[in-house]
Amino acid sequence: MTEPDRGERDPGLAAARTRLAWRRTAIAFAAVGGIMLKTSVFAGAVVLAMCPLIWALGNLAAPHPDSARAAPRLRLVSITITVVAAVALIVSFTARGR
Amino acid sequence: MTADDPRPGGDAPRRHEPAETGDAAETGDAAETAETAETEPDARFTLANQRTFLAWSRTALALVAAGLGIVQLLPPFPGVRWGRHVIGVPLIVLGAVTAAEAYREWTSTQRALRRREPLPRSALPLVLAATIAVVAAIAAAVALLSATR
Repeated sequence: MTEPDRGERDPGLAAARTRLAWRRTAIAFAAVGGIMLKTSVFAGAVVLAMCPLIWALGNLAAPHPDSARAAPRLRLVSITITVVAAVALIVSFTARGR
Repeated sequence: MTADDPRPGGDAPRRHEPAETGDAAETGDAAETAETAETEPDARFTLANQRTFLAWSRTALALVAAGLGIVQLLPPFPGVRWGRHVIGVPLIVLGAVTAAEAYREWTSTQRALRRREPLPRSALPLVLAATIAVVAAIAAAVALLSATR
């Protein structure tokens, strides 16, 4: 992949920047998973496992930006965060903090 | 439809626009009599919209992480047993709301882009700012209350 070639196919490096944004989101999942591990090993492990999944989703998403194909992926991210928040609520009320 | 449409990267060259109009144009023509014509926007607009969604998603995750950290990792406030929950739980709920609203706004922005309409306003900045201000006030109250006991 030579540089001028890449600039031609990816104007403004929009696809590359989007791929990096997906990676940052994946790392954010890892951060939440790490905090959850402290109180609930199972919930923490599940959220940590989301990290490579989101990373892979990003690699799939960048070359196919059209709305119809992106919608289910983004909906998945949105639902996952909502579920993570619900798990966080349950964890914060059930597990006894020190 | 005109030059004053507040679209992202409005000065971007148009030569990439018809890239994927294949089937989208056909369905658009069929629906044109009843609804506004829809065509796939410039890939850069779609990708920018996607990055906005991802940025809000990270904000949502950061809110969940902060709320969880406050409830579980912070030592309890002396004399205010519910102190950590009253600060942390609203942050976690705000995280869930942000994630859901980010997806809803991605959908409506994408629709506006496809129809070449002005972009809808985002409700998230106001919701986020108002909730964080309230949580800050609660945190200050809890800190003062625990200091006086």
